[in-house]
Amino acid sequence: MTAGRRRARVRRGIEFLWMTAPAVIAILLFVEVPFLMSVMYSFTKWNGLDKAAKFIGLANYKELLATDPAFGSAMIFTLVFTVLTVITINVIALLLAVILDMKIRGKNVLRAAFYVPNIISLIVIGYVWRFIFSRGFDSLGSLTRMGIFQLSWLGDTHLVFFSVVLVSVWQSIGFYMVIYIAGLQTVPRELLEASVIDGTSPVGRFFRITLPLIMPSVTVAVFYSLSNALKTFDVIFSLTFGGPGTATTSIALDIYKTAFSDNRFGYGTAKSVVLFLLILVVTVTQLNTFKRREVQA
Amino acid sequence: MRRPRGAPAISLLMAVLALVYIYPLILVAINSLKTFAQIMENVMAFPFQLRWENFANAFTLMRYPNLFLNTLVVTCMGTAGVVLLASTAGFKLSRTRTRVSWFVFLLCVAPMMIPFHSFMIALVKVAKTMHLTNSIWGLGVVYWGLGVPLSLFMYHGFAKTVPAELDDCAAIDGARPLRAFFQVIFPLLQPVTVSVIVINAMWMWNDFLLPLLILGGAKKSQTLQLAAYNFFGLYKIEWQNAMAGVLLTITPAIVFYLILQRHIIKGMVAGAVKG
Amino acid sequence: MKRYLLAAAFIVLCAALVAGQGKTLKVFWYSPELTDQYNDMAKAYQAETGNTLDITVNQPDYRTLMSAKINSGDIPDVFMSSAYSDNVTYKDYVYDLTDADFMKQLEPSALAGVTVNGRITGYPFLVQSHSFIYNKKIFADAGIKTLPRTLGEYEAVAKKLQARGIQPFATGYKEWWVLPQTAWQVLAPAAGAYGGFAGMVDKLNSGALTFKNIKGMSTVFDVLDLIKKYGGPKPMESDFNDQCSLLATGKAAIIHQGNWAEDTIRKTTPDIDIGYLRGAVAGTANEAGIMYDSNQTIRVYKDGQVELALSWLKWLTTSEYGKAWVPDKIKQMSPIKGSKSPAAQLAQATAAMLAAKVPSYPWFYQMFPAGTEQGLGIIIQGYCAGQTNRQQALDALDAAYTKIVNASK
Repeated sequence: MTAGRRRARVRRGIEFLWMTAPAVIAILLFVEVPFLMSVMYSFTKWNGLDKAAKFIGLANYKELLATDPAFGSAMIFTLVFTVLTVITINVIALLLAVILDMKIRGKNVLRAAFYVPNIISLIVIGYVWRFIFSRGFDSLGSLTRMGIFQLSWLGDTHLVFFSVVLVSVWQSIGFYMVIYIAGLQTVPRELLEASVIDGTSPVGRFFRITLPLIMPSVTVAVFYSLSNALKTFDVIFSLTFGGPGTATTSIALDIYKTAFSDNRFGYGTAKSVVLFLLILVVTVTQLNTFKRREVQA
Repeated sequence: MRRPRGAPAISLLMAVLALVYIYPLILVAINSLKTFAQIMENVMAFPFQLRWENFANAFTLMRYPNLFLNTLVVTCMGTAGVVLLASTAGFKLSRTRTRVSWFVFLLCVAPMMIPFHSFMIALVKVAKTMHLTNSIWGLGVVYWGLGVPLSLFMYHGFAKTVPAELDDCAAIDGARPLRAFFQVIFPLLQPVTVSVIVINAMWMWNDFLLPLLILGGAKKSQTLQLAAYNFFGLYKIEWQNAMAGVLLTITPAIVFYLILQRHIIKGMVAGAVKG
Repeated sequence: MKRYLLAAAFIVLCAALVAGQGKTLKVFWYSPELTDQYNDMAKAYQAETGNTLDITVNQPDYRTLMSAKINSGDIPDVFMSSAYSDNVTYKDYVYDLTDADFMKQLEPSALAGVTVNGRITGYPFLVQSHSFIYNKKIFADAGIKTLPRTLGEYEAVAKKLQARGIQPFATGYKEWWVLPQTAWQVLAPAAGAYGGFAGMVDKLNSGALTFKNIKGMSTVFDVLDLIKKYGGPKPMESDFNDQCSLLATGKAAIIHQGNWAEDTIRKTTPDIDIGYLRGAVAGTANEAGIMYDSNQTIRVYKDGQVELALSWLKWLTTSEYGKAWVPDKIKQMSPIKGSKSPAAQLAQATAAMLAAKVPSYPWFYQMFPAGTEQGLGIIIQGYCAGQTNRQQALDALDAAYTKIVNASK
């Protein structure tokens, strides 16, 4: 290698370093180091308050894998919930983004309307939706006489799953719509106009031109919605608190209850390590698959 | 782009859907104008008299002007930091196609896989050691670490829409790399930047748990969301103030969002390639 | 230049004077519905002593925040918790109040819950009661003259109310914490067979006794079933607000709650007439009673500003304002000896019932190991929702209880 090329490589290396270092440092410091610190506790018996934690090796993990039916059902709930919400959210958000990207009147206000649920505090969402499901549906039921409103959408252990999915999706769509709208801006106008001239149908245009070009946003959105769904906590916490009983307890809620109300912080942390590994496997797989489909401009 | 056929019909349909969609928010608005007793009686009823005093009460109880400023500082600091850190790192990682780069990329997006509750206590410890707790500036700094992963991911993906030739153009022009990036590349990432700003600003403005942990719930340094939260107790909820408080908190956010939305401009990249 | 230096020195001097003039106690409490009363008390304290109370209030995330504060070394000088099993939760941080002289001004019954091995670990804040609250007017209108005391009598009353188109109960079953207070009351007289409350809890802890074997658990389930049966069309969706609003607006006749609910109820309907029913128990009609205890406890951090905290507590217990604070401002019952009864209907009903020798039981379920309250409550909620049958629920209660006992060893 010539000296010039070596210098260029060194220069590129240094550039890489200072351009990425600040972000990496911030992430390490505020997320990954704390997480590793917490992982230490997963090998202890600790209530989160005592000054001393008792080291117990892998006992927490053994208990988790062998004798914790609650964690098992939380896992099943979370996986089913994830599949349902990720598909629903991404399909609807993309559809909305496409529609609200067209030249129609009032699209800014419309975008805001669909986005707002994402910024209302979860506590309020919980209360308002609880109200809608019980009293609101009661009124709708007596008005329309439709049996669907007389069912107990938050009280029945089978129906409550769908209520939680509904509110989750309702609350998130606006967010992913923003990501997809950003992606749609990067589709070069000429390509689209050329295809119109070619006589391609709008649907064909979408699948052959738009979708491949916005794969980066699809990757981000699916990745994020996937990990969020696996981590789902806030909506369930405020809507049902995992109830009735444990009907809607997700893994993250189970972890929270274990750590902060059962007073088993060490055990709770072991559960979060397992959750992290689950998310890691699922999302890295997704990432690798999707990244391959991204197209360079 | 021509207006699609049937645009007015689509507009109307979407408007109706949007109204149904934000019905819960409409409920909040209706109830912010009722008295406590009226709310307990029937949440869905329209108020007879509009009780604007709920807003006045919430405004004073929340110490709105002070906390508005606090929340603004946190949000601006946090968002600016995230945009800066995420854009530079995300872009560079995307352009560098090495195994090291891919590994660093994974390291940067890994936080998105970690449930917040599992490390939040340790985070408070770290923040305390760095003297970032009980301070709104400190809170802004902590947000950098939490907000960068998603934003970096977005910049990483969108970097592909900026043709590689431009990197070399900027370099050839003799500009220093930092300048080259911010003057040439960054403007082209505008749609992403706007979205990143929207996502982070909205999140930080309305966030609750992290401010609670870092600021410790102390009265003197609070954010709007924390103050609004004070209306919700276990045994008694000051509904009328709570609803008013919620609206007071999210209105600036909505306004900000509407303003930003106008800045998403289509097809900037195409122009840059031609020019 | 000299002018600026002088001005700066003057400011520093003033600041020093002001700062030296009063110390600040860091307080972290829950019950945000009492925030106004907390602030009022802080103002009065400052006026009398010049010291400030910096009170932070939070409920839903209290435990999480305490964890964060303790782990980052930011521990408040004064905090709050339940009594009984929570006495040991914060064992590394709590100051022993046994030798503080003002503690003698508190009722022994209130101190019982915070005493461990003869040492007093906290300061009882409120004395509260809970049982079935009923709307007197609805009962009168329905012609119900004898108040129910047994399961059968409750069922009869419920049938009568239902026939008149009134929802007999607002269950509150959506809240996990309503289930324990409703369920465990039924078991109160049954403890006698196991050596009293402490004895029963000891036996449960050692495994000598299980929920499966406790005589009376079937009555617990019976009562829960009854409330659900007559609890309206969507019993599992009823939360605290639902209970209060339905009772206040006359749409439901009975709720299981405590005197803390009166404020919310009365804010909706100021002139409502409410009282307590003696809760049905696994025992005779005469054993039906109410639950009465001091559970909410103020605790002092042993490595904080202890002197200041003690002097404040002394003021709270002995000053005119302090003694009147709980009955007059908070309108609940005070643990201080000789304190008057607050102008609150349920508190007065409690006093009247105590005077009439109606059985009043301590909140013995707080003696279950720290961390079980929510877990057991959720299992009971699962039973009510039909997730489990009685046998499965009992098994789950035992499994959860054992796990926590083992975890705390």
